[in-house]
Formats: sequence, C-alpha cells, structure tokens
Amino acid sequence: MALAITFSLIGFAASAEESMFGFVYTTDLLPQGGKEVEQWASWRHQKIGGYYDQLEGRTEFEYGLTDRLQVALYLNYNWTQAYHNGPFGATTPPEQFSDYQVGPDDRFNQTRFVGVSGEAIYRILSPYTDAIGLAVYTEPTFGKNFFELENKIILQKNFFDDLLTIAFNFTYAPEFRYLQDPADPTGIARSWQDETDVNFALGVSYRFVENWSAGFEFVNEHEYNSFTFNHESNSGYYLGPTLHYGGERFFVTATALWQMPWATAHADTVPGALVNGYVLDNDFEKFRFRLKAGYTF
Amino acid sequence: MKASHWAWLPVAVISTSAYATTYLTVEQAQRAIFPGASFSASGQPGIWRTSNGGYLVVDRVVGKHEFITIAVGINANGTVKQIEIMEYRESYGYEVRDAAWRAQFVGKSASSPLQLNADIKNISGATLSSKHVTDGVKRILQKVESGLKGTG
Repeated sequence: MALAITFSLIGFAASAEESMFGFVYTTDLLPQGGKEVEQWASWRHQKIGGYYDQLEGRTEFEYGLTDRLQVALYLNYNWTQAYHNGPFGATTPPEQFSDYQVGPDDRFNQTRFVGVSGEAIYRILSPYTDAIGLAVYTEPTFGKNFFELENKIILQKNFFDDLLTIAFNFTYAPEFRYLQDPADPTGIARSWQDETDVNFALGVSYRFVENWSAGFEFVNEHEYNSFTFNHESNSGYYLGPTLHYGGERFFVTATALWQMPWATAHADTVPGALVNGYVLDNDFEKFRFRLKAGYTF
Repeated sequence: MKASHWAWLPVAVISTSAYATTYLTVEQAQRAIFPGASFSASGQPGIWRTSNGGYLVVDRVVGKHEFITIAVGINANGTVKQIEIMEYRESYGYEVRDAAWRAQFVGKSASSPLQLNADIKNISGATLSSKHVTDGVKRILQKVESGLKGTG
C-alpha cells in the first residue's frame, strides 16, 4: 500500500515549451528543430472616463535553433477605440497611435499594423538540471515611426516534481517614437523621442490535473522618459489569475489582470494621469486580458 | 465595438491530437523484459513477482503534459534488468524510448545515484522527460528495496 500511495503522489506533468503564462515568460524553450505558431490577442480596457478599448494582436512563428536557443518572428497589429478617456476628459490614443493628431473631443477609432518583431531567447541554466532556470531574452520591434528593443532576464524555479512553476522576469525596454517635437511652438516639427519601460513580473502556476494548470500573475510596470532610471513618468501594478491548457500539440493560455490601486506620482507624471491610486495614462489601463493559443509541429 | 474590427484578426484553425501513443501493453512489457517467465500478483497494483525471483513494476511518471507510463524489470538481487516506455504522449522527448538511453539503467540499484548528468546522461531537448523517468526508476527501486524484498 505504501508503494501505491507513493506512486500516486508522483503527480502530474508541469512545464512545457509553450507559454504557461499570459504575460510572464519561462525558461522552457522548443528543442532543436521544434516549430510552433502562436496567436495572441490582448484586450486593454477602460481608462479614466469615457470609453477605451484596445485590441492588440500578435501572430508568431517560433523555432528552436538549438536546445538552448529559440528564435521567433512575429507581426503586431492593433485596433483602438477611445473617447474622453484621458486626463481631464481628453481623448487620448494609446502609445501605438501617438503619432496621430487627435483632438480632445474626437472619437478615436483606428486600426494599424504596428510592426514586425524578432525574438531570441537563450537558456543559460535549466530549472530541471540546475538549481534555478536562467534565460536572457531580446526582442527588437520595427514599425512606422517606432523602434523598440525589449530585453528580459528570465528566472524559473519549479517545485513538487515540477508541478509548481514560479517564474520571474525583469524587463528593460527602451523605445523610440518619431513624434511632434514638444519644443517646437508651431507644432510642425517632429523629432525622435525616447522612453524606457522597466517591468518586474512574477508568475506562479500549479498543474492541478493532467494538461491543466492555474495560478496568478503579478506585473509591476514603470515608464521613464529616459534610458536610465531618471524622469519616471508612470508606474502601475497589475494582479490576476491565469489558466493554461497544454496538450501534445496544442496549448491555450488566458490571463486577466486588474490594476491595483497602488500607483503613486513620480517626477514626470502627467497631471491628471493618477486617479485614486490608479495610473491611467499611456500604457496603463484598468483591466487587461490576454489569450494565447499555439500549435507545435 | 464594431464586429468588423474583429474580422481582420487571423483565425487559426487548430486541432488537438489528444491520443495516447501506447507502445507496449502490460503483457507485452512482461514478455519483453522477462521472456519465458511467469508472473504472480504481489498484492499491490502495478507490481508483479516473477518466477525467477524478480519484480516487474508498471508505473506512471510526470511528462510535460501527461503521464509517461514505464515498466521496470528488477532482478532478484535488486538491480534493474530492463526498462521500457509503455506510453508517451508529449510533443517532444521521444528519445527516452531509445534503447541506448534506456540501457544506462541496466544494473542500477537502489543505492545507485540515478541522477541526470551524473550516472544517467541527459537527452538535450527532452530534459524533463529524462529527469522524471530517471527519478521514477529511482523511486521504484527504493520502494522495492524497502517495501517488498524479504516479505514474500
């Protein structure tokens, strides 16, 4: 009987190369020669007032160059509707449309192709054979009037026979946008302006039955009007549940995040962006939901 | 929100292939590991005594998504005679079925390290499966050593 009980405690599988989390990355990669297509849809909803909905799409192809190095190429596209959503009731489009001229009372409704991204993830340590998993990530994105270089350090630790996965990401992502020059009183001149996103993210997920795992994700995002940690404009905190199904070839992951009322003012915070502990300007909204689906072949 | 805005999203028609790949039944595993032997129930599920004093244990270990079913043949002296992968249902990692990799377990006992990258070579790209099969064999050997030997 003891043997049977022990065997029954062996448990279920955990960790796969596919996305276990909606927003947090793990160190699990495709093996050499492995291929996967992924489709993402991210919904960002509601800012200060009026209405605001943004739907970000991403179509991705991943390939395992080696067992430690995975590369990917993807297309990013976006639809947004916004009206009286920003500080002091002004219509304010999201960053992806910041090169558009929008009046404070306009009803904004646009679709655009945002850009093409490349991605490379290199795993230095494996959570299955080393004390902790460690990987580095880089993702350049090129678009109209836009360039971003997103970099991550990914940590992963598993427990309970790999039933429980804990992953942590540090993200440093400088970006450049060709926008109206704020120093030009005529409003005609344009210049390249820089911003840096610095994020901390934590994901915890437990495989509770075969193929299914559930947990939560926590994201702390910061925006700086510089490449260093000076001139911080916004910081927000998001928390919510995540659910993942992984099969032999197919996976789907869904995560819902709500902004927590923990935001505070910073040196470059725009007046009116901070409301009752929520930061609701630029890349920050009240609620976001991400659905990912992928097929491995 | 206008419905037309949703229409341009790519639609991926994706199907699952959720069938189990069964390579060996219990009877086939018994014949493969202990050819010519007869088997009697040990009183515990998944464990048989063999007519030559050994044991055959069928168990499931953790895979990436689902269980991997393995059979471990144990000689009368407590060493591994042979292991077989009976069911495997993952996207990758089928290399754990390779005879050369499984042969590393032959002769191992409960006192062997049985650690990946130590006395058992890792299969790059199939690390999780390699690790859990290795851990599963060790658990089985230790349980047979402590729980079954000398009781019958």
